[in-house]
Amino acid sequence: MNIVVFTKRVAAAQEEELKIVRDGEDLDISKLPFKVNDWDNYAVEEAVKTVEKFGGQVTAISLGDKESDEVLRRSIAMGAKEGLLIRKDDPIFDPAVRANVAFNFIKKHNIVFDAIFTGVQAEDDQFGVFGGYLAALLKIPFASMVIGIDEWKTDHVVVKRELEGGMSERVRIGIPCVLSIQTGINEPRYVSIMGIRKASQVERKVFDGSEYMENIRSSIELLRWSYPPKKEGAKLLSADIDSACRELLEILKEKGVYQ
Amino acid sequence: MEFTNTTKVFTCIQCGKCTGGCPESGRTPLNVRLIVRKNQFGAQVKNSHLWYCTSCGTCTVRCPRDVKPSEVIFDMRSTLVESGDISTSIQKALENTFLQKNPWGRARSKRAEWAEKSGVAIKHISDTLEKRLLLSCCVHAYDPRCHVIPVNISKLLTYSGIEFGILGEEECCCGNEIRRIGEKGLFEELREENISNFNRYDVREILTLSPHCMNTLKKEYNLPKLKVYHYTQLLWDMIREGVVKIGKDYKKRVAYHDPCFLGKQNGIFEEPRYILKSIEGLELLEFSRSRENSLCCEGGGGRMFYEVEVQYERNAKIRVEEAYELGVQTIVVSCPFCLMTLEEQAVEKGIEVKDISEILVEVLE
Amino acid sequence: MSYGLIVADVRKGTFDERNLDLIGFCNILEVDAYILLPKGDYDVDLSYFKRVIRLNMEEADFLNPLNIGAIVEKTIEKFGRPSIIIFSSSSSGMEMASYLAGYFNVPIITDINGLSKEEKVFFKSCYSEKVYAHLRLKNEGFSVLTIRSGSFKQHANKKCEVTETEEMDPPTLSEKRSFLGYVEEEKQEIDITKANFLISIGRGVGKKEEIAGYEELATLLKATLSASRPVIDKQWLPKERQVGTSGKTVKPKVYLAMGISGAFQHIAGMKDSECIIAVNKDPEAPIFQYAHYGIIGDMHKVRDKLKELLKGL
Ligand SMILES: Cc1cc2nc3c(=O)[nH]c(=O)nc-3n(C[C@H](O)[C@H](O)[C@H](O)COP(=O)(O)OP(=O)(O)OC[C@H]3O[C@@H](n4cnc5c(N)ncnc54)[C@H](O)[C@@H]3O)c2cc1C
Repeated sequence: MNIVVFTKRVAAAQEEELKIVRDGEDLDISKLPFKVNDWDNYAVEEAVKTVEKFGGQVTAISLGDKESDEVLRRSIAMGAKEGLLIRKDDPIFDPAVRANVAFNFIKKHNIVFDAIFTGVQAEDDQFGVFGGYLAALLKIPFASMVIGIDEWKTDHVVVKRELEGGMSERVRIGIPCVLSIQTGINEPRYVSIMGIRKASQVERKVFDGSEYMENIRSSIELLRWSYPPKKEGAKLLSADIDSACRELLEILKEKGVYQ
Repeated sequence: MEFTNTTKVFTCIQCGKCTGGCPESGRTPLNVRLIVRKNQFGAQVKNSHLWYCTSCGTCTVRCPRDVKPSEVIFDMRSTLVESGDISTSIQKALENTFLQKNPWGRARSKRAEWAEKSGVAIKHISDTLEKRLLLSCCVHAYDPRCHVIPVNISKLLTYSGIEFGILGEEECCCGNEIRRIGEKGLFEELREENISNFNRYDVREILTLSPHCMNTLKKEYNLPKLKVYHYTQLLWDMIREGVVKIGKDYKKRVAYHDPCFLGKQNGIFEEPRYILKSIEGLELLEFSRSRENSLCCEGGGGRMFYEVEVQYERNAKIRVEEAYELGVQTIVVSCPFCLMTLEEQAVEKGIEVKDISEILVEVLE
Repeated sequence: MSYGLIVADVRKGTFDERNLDLIGFCNILEVDAYILLPKGDYDVDLSYFKRVIRLNMEEADFLNPLNIGAIVEKTIEKFGRPSIIIFSSSSSGMEMASYLAGYFNVPIITDINGLSKEEKVFFKSCYSEKVYAHLRLKNEGFSVLTIRSGSFKQHANKKCEVTETEEMDPPTLSEKRSFLGYVEEEKQEIDITKANFLISIGRGVGKKEEIAGYEELATLLKATLSASRPVIDKQWLPKERQVGTSGKTVKPKVYLAMGISGAFQHIAGMKDSECIIAVNKDPEAPIFQYAHYGIIGDMHKVRDKLKELLKGL
């Protein structure tokens, strides 16, 4: 069982106020701490758990700048056998481009795998596109929002997909395939500082990203950034309990947690 | 889990003084003496037992053979940390500390937000002459309830003309709890970062607001040239020397709760009491267990981020009940952990819990 | 004239309300709305659409991302090329959209929640609602878009005079992925970190006897009950239900906090929830600073009224 996991290093913005600079043209994330994309952390854990159970090996791949090596070291500390960096110093925003670069990389190096795992989405751009797009380029089956892998067979897997309203479905998909992993599928293990230091001793191969960019152009123009309308505390529902409760039920419906 | 022993477990004579003083023994499965014993044999210890320890230090203080039983426990936790065998809430605290340099993962950039509430101009350490660093501690920096403590201290210092500076968003967790959780690598990183900041700004003395920070800076940082002290020490000096004058009375029945890291681990018992005794009208009562025997509030050693397996009556509750029996109106503390744990219980008994600085600003001229 | 091709958001025989956002989106862009629908008796007002394409296939096959490429190819053969193909940003919508975009190797923008029609610019949130990216498509052909629920439904107000309905046979179905079934509510241990919808109760609940009423409410709403530490300390709910720094960190879609003041240790465990609704009798309670919606009032009254409404439904 060979599993390739794509893992991305992202700015940890959850706690920060993001600064839009240069008249909306740029987002200043230079002061933020960076970390592994949360979803990818689950994907790496799931891959490692899978090979621990069925044998095989995990290869972690990151597409990003040189600092992205950090998430590869982390993956290795978690149990990946090797880490490959497709180095591209200026970030690629368009998920279609990212998927195409990954596709070219896989083809060029003839990377063999039984499955590719990705996170459902990245915390930064939140496109949620990479896995599905890549699967289609590779012409292999795909499932996203995977919250459970119930069965691994030589030619197929059975996975559980999360749907709305607390529902989920079970689908059977052929191997090789791409699975986009949803948070909550497992409990990613802790990697200690010493563990990461040890992992640094495993060599990570670096590839020049521009070599896989031939004939790929982005068709999405990022014009500017803006802030969403400011939220000033809670929006209070009606003072009358009856109306307030009706409004509450409407909100629950809109959020898709109650049908 | 099998453990290897690096501490002096073989000098242990199994006298049981550790367990005898342990605030967790009897009511929880934690038995310090037995853990040391099992360590001597390399025998199995149940992982969950290790996490009851609050790192109060009683066992280590009382041990006649210098075994340092609490350190034995931290070492064993370390083995669990390295193998990733820890609870998710502890894991979160560690990951957060790695990322944002505080266990809650709040933005490092907001570390000095409390300063805006102070109403006085607070300098960065580099802009000061005396290089006296006020180290706020993660709790004071991020828990809105505790902001008032650095705010009060800053005001008191400013009004008294005592120069100080802060590190602002460069400040980073001291690592006292991290080391006690057993993440030694992370502790080392925090220590290195802090020391490099102290060196960069030529810091000469450090005024700590939390006894936990003071403890590790004093004992685990190896800073022989730096003077490290707790704010109650400075405040008492200021009162004694007449730099601040108490002008109002405080007509309440008050009990002072000795924090483990200030009291039994670092021998500071008198200054907080002197401060309180110098306040007119304040009736200072003593808990039956005070000073060296003070009952641990159970906020330390990772317990701030973790609920142990067995549910039992919290020490904070026992403490508050005793205060209630004594007719105490205000429990006074000088540690943010004690403040939080005791206050949570005290609200139900209608008793207030205050940091010593909160009382002081009320009674100043 | 080119059209917008809506891939219907359907599930278990129901036509989701989220489809209205897709219709509204087409209306704002002033493109004719075509919709792809599988077999089934959906309760849907077809007059919203210029054309309804009924595929002679089961819902489960329709929702299989491996089939969508061929379906769209067939649609194009028959009706020409759309300018956009749109999905809702639901679990299956996102799955199909990303696969379809890769199938044709065309651009895709997901989770659109606003637009500027003049500039042909779409807005999408990044960094969990911290900022919006303004994006423009510069390709010639069609693109794939997914639309966030609740963003455009108020624009679904235009009816077409004529709606053409066509039947279409499905393409050859993929055998590489098959639907096995919906997962029955497995009686598994309750894990509040995995719940989509938490009702969390705090010290304000007052008495142990009140808990049962909240359990009942949670059952009616298919929510999971969690609590702040004082409730757990009193052993009114099991330990595993504690939210906060020393309990569990949760990130549900909806967090309904009732009788919780919003202490730092509690907030740290739930502040990243997608939508926080607070019920508290104290308008000054810190929880309101973190909540998206608030009800100032007695939690028990809110509970009882909700139960009444739900039972009456
Ligand atoms: C080490 C440590 C760890 C901790 N870890 C956690 C943790 O993991 N999780 C956690 O939750 N806490 C934790 N705490 C406790 C925390 O500090 C607070 O004490 C606790 O969160 C308060 O819970 P509460 O909001 O339910 O109660 P309170 O703060 O007492 O608030 C009760 C609220 O209910 C409202 N209310 C009362 N009656 C009604 C009514 N009839 N209708 C509507 N509203 C009503 C009141 O206005 C009030 O706002 C921890 C504390 C310490 C010291």
